[in-house]
Amino acid sequence: MAITSIKNLKEFSTNNDRFEGSHLLCPGCAHSMIVRELMNCTDDNLVIASNTGCLEVSTAVYPYTSWDTSWIHIGFENAATAASCAESMYKARKRKGTLKDNDAPVKFVAFGGDGSTYDIGFQWLSGAMERGHDFTYICLDNENYANTGGQRSSATPIGANTSTAQAGSHSYGKKQKKKDIVAIMAAHGAPYVAQLAPNKWKSMAKGFQKALETEGPCFINTVSACTTEWKFDPKDTIHITDLATDTLMFPIYEIIDGHELNILYRPKNILKVEDYLGAQGRYRHLFKPENKHVIERIQSDIDKNWEMLQRREEARI
Amino acid sequence: MAKEFDLNEVEVWDGNYAASQALRQAQIDVVAAYPITPSTPIVEGYGSYVANGYVDGEFVMVESEHGAMSGCVGAAASGGRVATATSSQGFALMVEVLYQASGMRLPIVLTVVNRALASPLNVRGDHSDMYLGRDSGWIQIDAFNPQEAYDLTLCAFRMGEHLDVRLPVMVHQDGFTTSHKAQNVTPLKDEVAYAFVGDYVPVNDMLDFSRPVTHGAQTEEDWHYEHKAKQHKALMDSRTVIDEVFADFKALTGREYKRVESYLMDDAEVAIVVLGSSVETAVLAAKQLREEEGIKAGVVSPRCFRPFPYDLVRDALDIPTLKAVSCLDKSAPGGAMGALFNEVSAAVYTTKARPMMTNYIYGLGGRDFAVDEAKRIFKEQKAHADAGHITTDIQQFSGLRGPKLGFFQTRRD
Amino acid sequence: MSTGVLGTDKRGIRELGAEEKVGWDEVTRGVVLNSFDGEALDIAHKKAEERDYSDFNSYVATVASWRIIKPVFNRDICIDCQNCWVWCPDTSIISRDKQMLGIDYDHCKGCGVCVEVCPTNPKSLLMFSEAKENEDALEEWPEKEKKTK
Repeated sequence: MAITSIKNLKEFSTNNDRFEGSHLLCPGCAHSMIVRELMNCTDDNLVIASNTGCLEVSTAVYPYTSWDTSWIHIGFENAATAASCAESMYKARKRKGTLKDNDAPVKFVAFGGDGSTYDIGFQWLSGAMERGHDFTYICLDNENYANTGGQRSSATPIGANTSTAQAGSHSYGKKQKKKDIVAIMAAHGAPYVAQLAPNKWKSMAKGFQKALETEGPCFINTVSACTTEWKFDPKDTIHITDLATDTLMFPIYEIIDGHELNILYRPKNILKVEDYLGAQGRYRHLFKPENKHVIERIQSDIDKNWEMLQRREEARI
Repeated sequence: MAKEFDLNEVEVWDGNYAASQALRQAQIDVVAAYPITPSTPIVEGYGSYVANGYVDGEFVMVESEHGAMSGCVGAAASGGRVATATSSQGFALMVEVLYQASGMRLPIVLTVVNRALASPLNVRGDHSDMYLGRDSGWIQIDAFNPQEAYDLTLCAFRMGEHLDVRLPVMVHQDGFTTSHKAQNVTPLKDEVAYAFVGDYVPVNDMLDFSRPVTHGAQTEEDWHYEHKAKQHKALMDSRTVIDEVFADFKALTGREYKRVESYLMDDAEVAIVVLGSSVETAVLAAKQLREEEGIKAGVVSPRCFRPFPYDLVRDALDIPTLKAVSCLDKSAPGGAMGALFNEVSAAVYTTKARPMMTNYIYGLGGRDFAVDEAKRIFKEQKAHADAGHITTDIQQFSGLRGPKLGFFQTRRD
Repeated sequence: MSTGVLGTDKRGIRELGAEEKVGWDEVTRGVVLNSFDGEALDIAHKKAEERDYSDFNSYVATVASWRIIKPVFNRDICIDCQNCWVWCPDTSIISRDKQMLGIDYDHCKGCGVCVEVCPTNPKSLLMFSEAKENEDALEEWPEKEKKTK
């Protein structure tokens, strides 16, 4: 495939965007930063499937599309199936010679939010990963059902205030830990799985290019800071994402062939999680004295997870 | 290249195997499927053709029926021929995507082996799943025996893929009574069958990169209504294409299909309207009653369930001698008259004669429908005809143990 | 009227949602939208001004009315790092040949991310009221901030 140069941002910026403006995503939304970067990582033809969610309802509302590539949406749960079976059709037609251009290079990509990835589309994603299609699934993880007004998902971290796991006089918000989707996808034996963040544009671009180049089903979880539901100023999307990666709330790493783990970003100064939590309205209640234990729990979970990731990396297994 | 399959002039096939052979001959590009009783052998049969080199396309065994139809939609939007098979609960799981497939105007072929819907769980044949699909925007055609399951599956590709139609098509057959009943089937040779079906013509092909295309956009109140109305019009208008395909098929094979089949109706006084494998039973009952008791009984069957052939049903039942018609629904009606009764009554209301209309629910969960039961229903119609009014409840449950179950009467004061 | 790289013939010609409700015949079958008119091969190697956008491409629509504040670009200070380009969520930074040329005000929603990620001192992008003329904004540009230790 033809990957584009990511040597530096100047080189990268010579790409011609295939994701157009006047979509309906909120000002400052990280979704489109991630989508633009993915599409600029290759100049191959792309077939993109999107689950129902913020990205889908904002980029293909009749009579407009923001996509300059082939794009399909079916339902909330089945983008992985749509992309993977489009790939099957490509294989069949290439073999039979019925494609309009039999040599045109093409990549198959599916996008889903955390609602459709972690929850309602989990089975479809798992099926497509197990079947081994040559495609890349990218989760735009904003840790809630943002499209419908900020309900909890299984990607919502413990302690967050959401519209279905409210913080109140008798509740500190969501009670359950975030599901480890990266580990689950790695356990499918996928050749390339990663967790990436748009503030680290180069590691994200590298990860995207690896996924696109790797034959077989690849999965990437990207942190997508949500100005509307995380409750921060739209201008601060990258700043909040910096805090997510520098507190290690959202560590950046890849897992090759289901076992070989590489950490892709090590903060020089690891920040305390309060810095990240305090910058967002969804965690404001945690700073009340009675909820101090939740912050302690979050920090302790982060520390343990970082320890685990480093040990797994060192083990080289 | 796919290997040619050696076929005898006459084969002994059940409905499932007949359907799977038709799918093979259509040289489908992608079959995405999930097995379910009683349609499993269609998927298994197709898999064996793949394993032995009789199919060039891809065979994707997905993780659920929802996934199967989702895969069919993704593949169909990528510009090739697509089909799958299902029944009952699998069909129910697919429903969300059935609506999406038709709204996106993708000509997928779905062979449905009709089976009851739980609860209670039941693997036998009734028409609950077929009825569940009746508002989904698909063309639905109904095979009464294995030969028809084979023939109509081939025809389905021609209907759905026609450039004026571009809608998905279901080919129904009855679970077990057709799907597992081996009968003589006269197949076409591979090349003849494929020539009839023809090459697939891609439209809005996601793999044509000279025309980037967005499938599945959202439409709100300014646009949705026109889209759905256009889709409905396309479905209603598809009747002329369906007729053309049947005419071409007759020219090729001598086997004739009509959107509405009529048997012994020329001088009929009483009639049964029924679907599926029960048609043959009802015809046998009508013949026997004519011989044994001189009751002029006839049978009408809408082979094309969607688009519902109101025009031809009216023609079939607009007979001066006809006094009473009973519509037989093999699906639990859920607080209403059976769907066939409602559709047929709408058509019959436009006739001059306006025969008396009654509704029987029968055969749920695979309860056997025998010639004697059909005869009894004809005789009740004859009693209405003789009395000049409906002498029973308008809706009755036939073949049910316990007290007679019926609802709704004609006002006669 | 062609306005060149910074604003092509078709860009932002319609307020989003103000498009004509086309009639029965124009409504596309299967809700399909084509992004371009005619053959559109190799789009990845065509710049926006070289593309034949269809009326169904959101490129032809504008969301300028969403803005109450806008970024203003000061060419004199810019080092062409392209931070603003990579993180713009609305494909509204116009860069050509590794050079930042300006803001696409048809598609910019005024989020302010570009200003936040701008590394120069003073910044080469600053937010101003939508009502302010760009020339006036440039007149008011702040001086370099001295680092205080």
